Amino acid sequence: MSTGYERASEFLEGVRPNRRDIVTPEGVPLPVEIANYGERATAFAIDLFIWLCVTLLLYLMLITVLATIGGTGRLVAASAILFIAFFVRNLYFIYFELSWQGATPGKRIVGLRVIDRRGGPLTAVAVIARNLTREIEAFMPLGILLTLGGRGTPLWEQLSIAAWLLFFSALPLFNRDRMRGGDLIAGTMVVSLPRRVLLRDLVEQQARFAFTERQLQAYGAFELQVLEELLRRPESVEQARVLRDVRDKICRRIGWTGAVADHDTEIFLRDFYTAERGFLEREQLFGHVRADKHADRRSKPGRADDSGSPGPVGG
Amino acid sequence: MTEVTAPAAAGPAASAPAAGGQPGLALRSSEFRRGREDSWRDLETLVAVIETRGVRALSADDLQRLPLLYRTALSSLSVARSIALDRNLLLYLENLALRGYLAVYGPRVSLLRGAGDFLVRGFPAAVMAARWHVLIAVLCTAVGGIAGFALTIGDESWFSSLVSTGLSAGRGPASSRADLHDHEIFAPWPGAVESFAVMANFLFTHNTVVGILTFSLGLACGVPTILLLLYQGLILGAFLALHANRELSVDFLGWVAIHGVTEIGAIILCGAAGLVIADKLLFPGRYSRVESVAIHGRIAAQIAVGAVLMFFVAAILEGGFRQLIQSTPWRFAIGAATGIGWLLYVVLCARRRPS
Repeated sequence: MSTGYERASEFLEGVRPNRRDIVTPEGVPLPVEIANYGERATAFAIDLFIWLCVTLLLYLMLITVLATIGGTGRLVAASAILFIAFFVRNLYFIYFELSWQGATPGKRIVGLRVIDRRGGPLTAVAVIARNLTREIEAFMPLGILLTLGGRGTPLWEQLSIAAWLLFFSALPLFNRDRMRGGDLIAGTMVVSLPRRVLLRDLVEQQARFAFTERQLQAYGAFELQVLEELLRRPESVEQARVLRDVRDKICRRIGWTGAVADHDTEIFLRDFYTAERGFLEREQLFGHVRADKHADRRSKPGRADDSGSPGPVGG
Repeated sequence: MTEVTAPAAAGPAASAPAAGGQPGLALRSSEFRRGREDSWRDLETLVAVIETRGVRALSADDLQRLPLLYRTALSSLSVARSIALDRNLLLYLENLALRGYLAVYGPRVSLLRGAGDFLVRGFPAAVMAARWHVLIAVLCTAVGGIAGFALTIGDESWFSSLVSTGLSAGRGPASSRADLHDHEIFAPWPGAVESFAVMANFLFTHNTVVGILTFSLGLACGVPTILLLLYQGLILGAFLALHANRELSVDFLGWVAIHGVTEIGAIILCGAAGLVIADKLLFPGRYSRVESVAIHGRIAAQIAVGAVLMFFVAAILEGGFRQLIQSTPWRFAIGAATGIGWLLYVVLCARRRPS
């Protein structure tokens, strides 16, 4: 598996994504990106808001019912509504994660999914297990924080209970996979799953510029993928300037003798991209993986290395 | 994957060599992409439908194509990783394969079917698997009960320190025999609405929260779980001693037994579930701690969910039937029947093979 494109992503996006591999039942490793704290907090806040709205609605119903009917009907209605409120709180997450493939409304809006940590199917038991612990992780600390300073128990007692419970809420901060207590019990984790689109292939069918093998040996997969990303950026004045800079750098490095007009810059770069990709992919088919432009210097001549270890990144 | 050498079914442009210095140069990765792109797009549409409207929105035909398209995408990914350097293509395929994987291996059980399986086999089997933990939980509660009894029987001031005012509801060292006999044990039935709807509802919500707490606190290495079990025992023992001092112990036991067999059983099961987690956290054996908890946490969660159902039954018995049945022998009989019923249910159903 090539790690080159992950290095390119890291270089271009400036952040090191928190990746883990899960192995599908078919035996193919798939990298997943662990959801970050902000995303998860947002998703939970949205869910909490929906839950609060539903509960408020139920209580409003309760108040109107109490105002309109009297006698025993009142008691039945009150209990029924309280019972429903209890179920909404406890079944909201379980129901949605079961029927929406591991996502609640909040998670779907943010683009998060619950998955099995080892790559197996997400079972109903796992979904239930990870949501049962919400009582101590979210609802009780919230309840205590909201009633903080209330009468009855001394403040220090309330504070110590809150601190103790907050330890559970803060559990995701203390492990690599950002697992809640519920995730720990259920063997699940929450990943972020943006939708990616397949863009047009950049390969040119009719090339105007031709390059020799020696010229193409100047670069490796990493530089190729950075170039790909540059070429995919939307057109702008700034973009045109960057492309001209890149063109000059490439020309210097490969010893390009001919002149390239400014209006031909993009065509030149595309042709170079096509030729370079063809060259590198052919090399790769024969087992010579060139991770980046330093590949030859690091390995013995005739044997390219495929370690893909990051080196200094220059122009 | 041997697909690398398979000729791609591509359009006429695929074999056109790039003009210029590389004669005969056709990018394998481009050919590869052209040959398979349609099936990727197909999968993408299906997955998008599943993500927004659920699996049921797919036609039978599409449902059959889904796993095939998913496996095609997976094999495409494997090939692309070895032959392609197109970053966008690799990222797209990884994303598509992951989304396909989640669509294919997502939870496929409907809520009803899952609940049925759980009742018939999942819950009893989980309890059987955790029988030693159940035993420990029983012992903890018993020790608490004995201690509570022994403390309170000699000195009734212990009662008020052990039992919170909310729970004792006016009962305590100051209560007379007649108070307890007439207003508690043989209090008149408040009527169907009051008992089934209001009382049972309150009891269920309260008990469930306590039970879930007992279970979840297994994560804190089980210490709070054991403390909660001991405390439940202490309360029970204190109440028993209070009644024993007023020669009401048999009536009191009958009053508790009718629902208590189920309710205390459920609390013990919640405790056992918490202890399973604590056990696997502290003594992971040949797994890593995290793996060990994940493997056994599901058993524990099943026990906890089953216990919630037991709380439901207990609440109906306690809120509804306890005061309706005003005879101690009958109360004992119902208590014993529920106890034997639960035991038979667990032992017999746990033996069934998974369907």
